[in-house]
Amino acid sequence: MPSLNCPVCGASVEVPNDALPGELFECGDCGAQLEYFMDEKNTASLKVAEEVAEDWGQ
Amino acid sequence: MSYSVIVVKAGGRALASNRQNILQSVARHSSDGVVFVHGGGDIVSEFERRLGVEPKIVVSPSGVRSRLTDSAEIEVYTMVMAGKLGKEIAAYLNKLGVKAVNLSGVDASIIKAQRKKKIVIVDERGRKRVVDGGYTGTITEVDAQFIKRLLELGVVLVVSPLAIGEEGELLNVDGDSAAAAIASSIHADKLYLLTDVDGLLLDGELVKSLTAAQALEILDKIGPGMNRKVMMAARAVQSGVKRAHICTGLVADPVEAADLGGGTVIVG
Repeated sequence: MPSLNCPVCGASVEVPNDALPGELFECGDCGAQLEYFMDEKNTASLKVAEEVAEDWGQ
Repeated sequence: MSYSVIVVKAGGRALASNRQNILQSVARHSSDGVVFVHGGGDIVSEFERRLGVEPKIVVSPSGVRSRLTDSAEIEVYTMVMAGKLGKEIAAYLNKLGVKAVNLSGVDASIIKAQRKKKIVIVDERGRKRVVDGGYTGTITEVDAQFIKRLLELGVVLVVSPLAIGEEGELLNVDGDSAAAAIASSIHADKLYLLTDVDGLLLDGELVKSLTAAQALEILDKIGPGMNRKVMMAARAVQSGVKRAHICTGLVADPVEAADLGGGTVIVG
C-alpha cells in the first residue's frame, strides 16, 4: 500500500491503491482529517480536509 | 395581527398515502394562518427515471440518505416540487374553499440558501469522500415579513422546498429545515412535522414529550433522518416556537391528533 506524507505533521499515511480523489483519511499520528488529492499531472498528495457540515436537501 | 399561526410540514411518503386527510386537516386549521411545506423526493425520483435521469442518492457519514442534486437533477426537482406537487396541493386546498397559494423559496426570495459546494458521503465502497455538493443549499434567511403579509391576506401558503442561492441559482433544501426556519422566523405558535411513523421512538418506545434541551442531548441516540427532524424541531422551539410536534401524517386529522397528545412534542 503506497503512503503519502501528512501535510500537518509529516507522518507517513498509508493510502489504498484504489483511493479516489476526495477520499478522506485520518493521520494516525496527529489525527488530522486529510483529503486525497490528484493534481493535473496526476500526482497524488494529501491536503487538510475542509470542514464540511451535514446539512442536506431532500 | 394576533398570532396562532402554525407551520405544517408533510413528508412525501405521508402525502403519497394520506394526502386528502392531511390537506383537509390543514384546511380545518387554517383560520389563524397556516404555512404548509411539502416533501416529495420519491416522486422527484420517479419523474427523473421517466426523463432518463438516474436519481443519485448518497449517504452521509451519519447515515442520512439524501439526493445528490446535480444540474440535471435540479431541473427535474424544480419541475416536480415547485410545479406538479406544489400546484396539486394548492389546487386541492382551493377546492376545499381555502385561498391557497403555492410558492417556492425562490419566489420573492422567501427562502435564501447557500449552495453546499462540497459534501461528505460514504461511497459504494463504504469509504468517506468529499464530492461536489451540486445544487443543495443550507438555508440562510427567510423573509418573514413577506410571509406574514400573505397570511394577513388570509392566504394559506404552500411552500415547495426550493431556495434561491447567492448567485440566483435554484437550490434543493431539506423540507424539515425549511419548515423549522419558517416557523422560527415568523414566530409561529406551533410546528408540525408529519411523517410516516408515530413520532420519536427510542428503544422501541414512543417518546411523548421532551424539552428542546433534552432533545438536543439525545441526538446521537436517534436514527438518521429522525435525528434531523428532532434537531430542527428543537431549534425551532429554542427560537420561540411554543411547541414542535413530530407525529404521524397517516391518520384522519393529523394536526388535531397531535394537539390531542399524539406523537412526540418538543417544548421549551
